Amino acid sequence: MPELRNVIVFTIAAGRYAVELRWVREVVTLGFVTEVPTAPPALGGVCNLHGTILPVLDVGVLLDLPAGPPARQGDGALVLETDGITCALRVDQVDHVASLVEHSGQVVDAAGRPLTLLDPARLIRRAQELVGAPPQVP
Amino acid sequence: MTEDLDFDPDELAMLRQLFRTEAHDALEAVTTRVLNGGSTRPNADGFGEMMRVTHTLKGAAGTVGLNAMVELAHRLESAFALLARESTPWNAACADAIVEVTDGLRGYLDQLPVDPAGAEATADRLRQQIARIVRAPDEVDEQRATDSLAMPTITEAADPDPTPEPIVYAVIDPVSDAVAVPEVKSYLRVGPERIDALMSSAGELLFDRTRIERRVQLLRTLARDLARTRQSLRDAIGDPSTPPRRAALVETEGELAGQAALLSQTTAALLDEIEALRRTIGELQRGLTRIRMETAKNLMTHAARTLRALRRATGVRVELRTFGEDTEFDKAVAEQLFDPITQLLRNAVAHGLETPEERVARGKAETATVTIRARQDGNLLVIDVGDDGRGVDTTLLRERLISTGRWTTARAQLATDADVLDALGTGVSVRGDADELAGRGIGLDLVRQTIARLGGEVKVTSTPGRGTTFSLRLPLSTSLAQAMLFKVGGQVYAIPAVHVVDSTLVDPGVTTTLVRHEHVPVLRLEALLGHAGDPERKPGVVVTFAGKTLVCTVDKIVGPREIIIKPLGPLLAPLTIYAAATISGSGKVQLILDPAQLVRRAYPDAPDGSLGEQISAPMVLAGRALVVDDSRAIREAMTSMLGREGWIVDVAEDGARALQMTRQLRYDLVVTDLEMPELGGFDLIAHLRKDDRFKATPIVIITSRASPEHRRRAKDLGVRALVAKPITRRKLLEALTAK
Repeated sequence: MPELRNVIVFTIAAGRYAVELRWVREVVTLGFVTEVPTAPPALGGVCNLHGTILPVLDVGVLLDLPAGPPARQGDGALVLETDGITCALRVDQVDHVASLVEHSGQVVDAAGRPLTLLDPARLIRRAQELVGAPPQVP
Repeated sequence: MTEDLDFDPDELAMLRQLFRTEAHDALEAVTTRVLNGGSTRPNADGFGEMMRVTHTLKGAAGTVGLNAMVELAHRLESAFALLARESTPWNAACADAIVEVTDGLRGYLDQLPVDPAGAEATADRLRQQIARIVRAPDEVDEQRATDSLAMPTITEAADPDPTPEPIVYAVIDPVSDAVAVPEVKSYLRVGPERIDALMSSAGELLFDRTRIERRVQLLRTLARDLARTRQSLRDAIGDPSTPPRRAALVETEGELAGQAALLSQTTAALLDEIEALRRTIGELQRGLTRIRMETAKNLMTHAARTLRALRRATGVRVELRTFGEDTEFDKAVAEQLFDPITQLLRNAVAHGLETPEERVARGKAETATVTIRARQDGNLLVIDVGDDGRGVDTTLLRERLISTGRWTTARAQLATDADVLDALGTGVSVRGDADELAGRGIGLDLVRQTIARLGGEVKVTSTPGRGTTFSLRLPLSTSLAQAMLFKVGGQVYAIPAVHVVDSTLVDPGVTTTLVRHEHVPVLRLEALLGHAGDPERKPGVVVTFAGKTLVCTVDKIVGPREIIIKPLGPLLAPLTIYAAATISGSGKVQLILDPAQLVRRAYPDAPDGSLGEQISAPMVLAGRALVVDDSRAIREAMTSMLGREGWIVDVAEDGARALQMTRQLRYDLVVTDLEMPELGGFDLIAHLRKDDRFKATPIVIITSRASPEHRRRAKDLGVRALVAKPITRRKLLEALTAK
């Protein structure tokens, strides 16, 4: 049975991606991005979102693709939330919200063009691996 | 006669500070009552409460030796007594005069420690202002009031004996009064149940510590066992020339298996215990946050006062409605909100509201309304400041955004009305002309900056013709801390101020430098944070942690700031060099460095700190005393006096609370005031005497109403002594030893 999913479609570098809407808390324009020295390249910095500290991730690095340009103030971003972790994904452009059909793992949009459906939980796990194992003892 | 007060200067300073806090609250209560009433006359209860408050103030002022304040409070009480008579006329001018006096008295109390001469002039002015509260000041028995400071106008009605016993308040030589009383910082007032919760968390910490220490002991034993096993393994292997003894090896393997199991059990248990410790620390932290909470009441009163002043200055007809006075939030946040609220009210009056004629023409009530609503929304504190005025013309605002070059035409066309409203206060105003009350653009900028600094945001909603609402959305609890800010590689970083002791200059290339005659290691922060070093002398921040000192080189020292601590979240937790972050006034994230990690990097070989303090032994008691008085300053003064005599002192703020406490504990001495809210002193004593445990307990009354009638009642109830306020140590000791 084909499965219907509500997703948000966006572009990063040359790639077109989608994330299920249920993981997306907000689409925002990034405020000032503070650099975090000693952090791996996957972490583009941190910024202030409604008074909380939001890590900004680079999807390129997380997918083992070339790193994107550094996140800057004014860039678009998706705020994702899973497993109690909230982070921002820098995007070049948010295209539209759509219902996608999945045929045996292949996701296509209305025009039938394939998209990469991202799993935020997996992305965040990868980011955690890259930043370092959580400390055992405070 | 200063020695009659019997406090050392430090203690006197502390008690006076307490008194000031208490007086501020008491006067604020009077102000609130009058402001809320508008031009309506307070009822009998209202006046009764106002008189009780000033009366308490008078007693407390005497105890801390502020005689001019005693006299002023007395005059004010007399004025209230006169106003309370139905025959005395009441009008809005009375309310204004009272607010003027209560505000003036607060200013006087603040002025007193810093400028005694100026304060005297203020007191003179206040005397005249108090006289003006009542239309016919000659009706107040001034002569008698100043002669004896007994209770002329008030007690006579209730007291059958027309000659009240005069109470002479200690007269302090004004010169000695002014000298050598050091100023102390302001105090935070905290409900006892919140302290109890903290105490219980602190107690839990002790248990946690004991458990962890025991576990560490076990690990030490295990380490010794492992060393022994290794020795037997060595013995079994023997030297290279002989073959290993298989039986011994098997035995050693068995031992190792046991020890490995024990080690994994212990580690698991230790992790549980650390989890428990983490929970306790969390509770402690939340408890500490809660003790800083206060209700929105002060903020609302501030708003009422501001609007009143605006109304008088501009003649605009507007009234204030407030909702959610019970909403609790951080006291430090509340203080920061005073200015933004003032600004928003000014904006509403200057720009938001139409003239009464315009309002009537549009079918609105002639008098405009400003509404302030405080509420909790999830973990946010929301304060809405709304007017029912003309609303913001978004078309005009769009035009202004374009004409000032802030927005392109395309952007202005694409933007929703909400986006346009959000641009308000980012340097753009709906009015082109500057005016004296509030330049809307600039004023709102400041509001936005203040709220951003507190980690919140401002939302604007507006309906043309119906009004505008500014929504201040802030995190409910914020941890404010002092920090030292500095720049490295173009970014600002912070270190908690408690760990920064000094600043210095560091020569290029050195690895240690001299700080207070000691060589301490230099940590090059620019290198640690991934920036190139430079061959210049650099400023250094001297950091200490756990008894170790180091110097961190920085590019530029920004200076000390009060910052809000924000957690970095689980994703960044592995980057241990950062303890947390903060948000600057312009909304930028700034990272806070962890001094523990800096020390670890500068002293890589240092062992971890050992747990070693002892719990101090409990004190030997003379007895347990209960002090009952509605004045905090007097409670503190009595606690101090009795404490020095070896008493353990509990306090209660009124008879009802005292009675509750006596049900749980037995006391060897009860010291009580007579006039208190809820349950008065005589009623309390009557209740206590009915209880077998308190039939013969020594009871001392402290009062400013020592009439013969009072003495007779006291004697009937078996009261040991009746002491007139102000209380001195000598009087108290005499009362305690009285037969």
